[in-house]
Amino acid sequence: MVSKNKKNDMIVGYLFILPAMILLFLFIIWPMGSAISYSFTDYFLLKPGQQEFIGLENYIRLFKDEQLITSFINTCEFVIKVVPLQLFIALSLALIINKHFKGNGFYRVAYFSPAILSLVVVSILWSSLLNPTSGLINEILENFNFAPQPFLTSVEQAMNSIVVISAYSSCGYQMLIFLAGLKNIDQSMYEAATIDGANKVRQFFHITIPGLRAIIIYQLITIVIQAFKLIVQPMVMTGGGPDYSTITILQFIYEEGFRHRYIGYASAVTIVFTIFLIVVSLLIKRILPNETD
Amino acid sequence: MKLTKHRKNKILFYIGITFLAILFLIPTEWMIVSSFKSESTIFKDMNSLMAFVPHDLSFTAYSQLLDYYNVFNNIINSLFYASIMVILGLIVNSFAGYSLAMYNYPGKNVLFVFIIAMMIVPIEAIILPMYLVVHNLHLLNTIPGYILPFVANVMNIFLFRQTFITYPQELVEAGKIDGISSFRFFFQVVIPTSSSIYVTIGVLTFLASWNDFLWPVMALSEQKMMPIQVALNAIFSDREHIFTNHTMAALTIASIPVIIIYSIFQKYIVEGAVRSGIK
Repeated sequence: MVSKNKKNDMIVGYLFILPAMILLFLFIIWPMGSAISYSFTDYFLLKPGQQEFIGLENYIRLFKDEQLITSFINTCEFVIKVVPLQLFIALSLALIINKHFKGNGFYRVAYFSPAILSLVVVSILWSSLLNPTSGLINEILENFNFAPQPFLTSVEQAMNSIVVISAYSSCGYQMLIFLAGLKNIDQSMYEAATIDGANKVRQFFHITIPGLRAIIIYQLITIVIQAFKLIVQPMVMTGGGPDYSTITILQFIYEEGFRHRYIGYASAVTIVFTIFLIVVSLLIKRILPNETD
Repeated sequence: MKLTKHRKNKILFYIGITFLAILFLIPTEWMIVSSFKSESTIFKDMNSLMAFVPHDLSFTAYSQLLDYYNVFNNIINSLFYASIMVILGLIVNSFAGYSLAMYNYPGKNVLFVFIIAMMIVPIEAIILPMYLVVHNLHLLNTIPGYILPFVANVMNIFLFRQTFITYPQELVEAGKIDGISSFRFFFQVVIPTSSSIYVTIGVLTFLASWNDFLWPVMALSEQKMMPIQVALNAIFSDREHIFTNHTMAALTIASIPVIIIYSIFQKYIVEGAVRSGIK
């Protein structure tokens, strides 16, 4: 009787997890497996019958492909610029909102508000605002006697514009998470520090930062990985231009695999990129000390 | 003397944070205000502060928008896709989380480790192979082909598992004694008593689906099936030939559902962000 119940329990347990496992297998495991096998072929989607095994050719080509190297450098540039900027703005805003003052709730909503808009909406809105001939920002600059700027249409400024817009429009999320972390810090520690004569700066570095450590590490990993996967903003705002100055890795994969249909080569890039991202997130976890240490 | 210094600091503080608030609000404000202006008013206002002041408002841009571009259809598509995604996602992922938390069977630990390991796979990075699988299954430009790949979500399975692991065992035993089937027990007792996690994950799923862009660009290329984000990019990223007031009206309409969701479910969204953040 007992064993029958147990067996029944086992079957029910399997039934509950089965739908998820089927879907994960079909749409994550199978794609990854097929990407690995395609990556050793010259598979071209428009000539499906004619794929041939070409060994490591795609992988060798990938390290010499100038456009891919440009995409990689652009993506790294974006990551290096956006991550500190976004974390800095988010933490500053969280520290402001964490103070007790009248109207606190209004300011929290105001600072968070750009984060509500989707990336596509933000991107279209800003390409209108930054338009070189008829954009609002350039009209404002002109009123103050500045020359109009080619924010999204010059090689020098396009990536920086994307960095600032991205940090500005999504730091609201990180602000909220930092706020939750700040609320968890024991207030009596600040009182004790004040009695001991520690000033605000010392309190910030010795109480606030250590208290937020787990959250800072988590946010760092999420933002870094998110930033490496940049594609929507350049796709909508610049199309990767001007002169490939804002094309990113994911966009390269999209162009090569989806638009031009070179599946074999795009699969090789996908594999290398996926492994690269996994290594990056493991490295960040490794390098930064854990809270339990 | 000290009091006045304190007051002066306070005033400076408010000036600072208000300036910041304006900086964060003004682009969205301009978007909404401009959507109610005529094209000529928008450009006439541009070199003065009038650009941000609501005046001479009308719904012309909105009615023209619906006449010319039929974005209403794309909004309905998005609402439909997001709702299906929420319903299927909640069922499939909470089933899996419940199984991992409540049942014992051979291979369970392997499955759990597998799910944890999958959390590190960057889904967008494997979007091309995903597209190929959907292509091979002949599901491109179909609703199942668009929705099914993103129903199972390892992060959500993990969050459900963490919630159910603390589920009171007495309730489960009581259910067994009453002879209710496990599935009925799940739908009639477990879901109603865990509604908070369902709302949190449901809202986050809805927002993710509503805002998604890259996957529908690849999986749904037919205009009549496009969700709103793809339609926005297809029509309004052209800055030379499309009226600014039409564009701003389209962006505003596309943002109304998320604004409503944020104002109703703010608490859950913060909780969801923090939950997936701290774990």
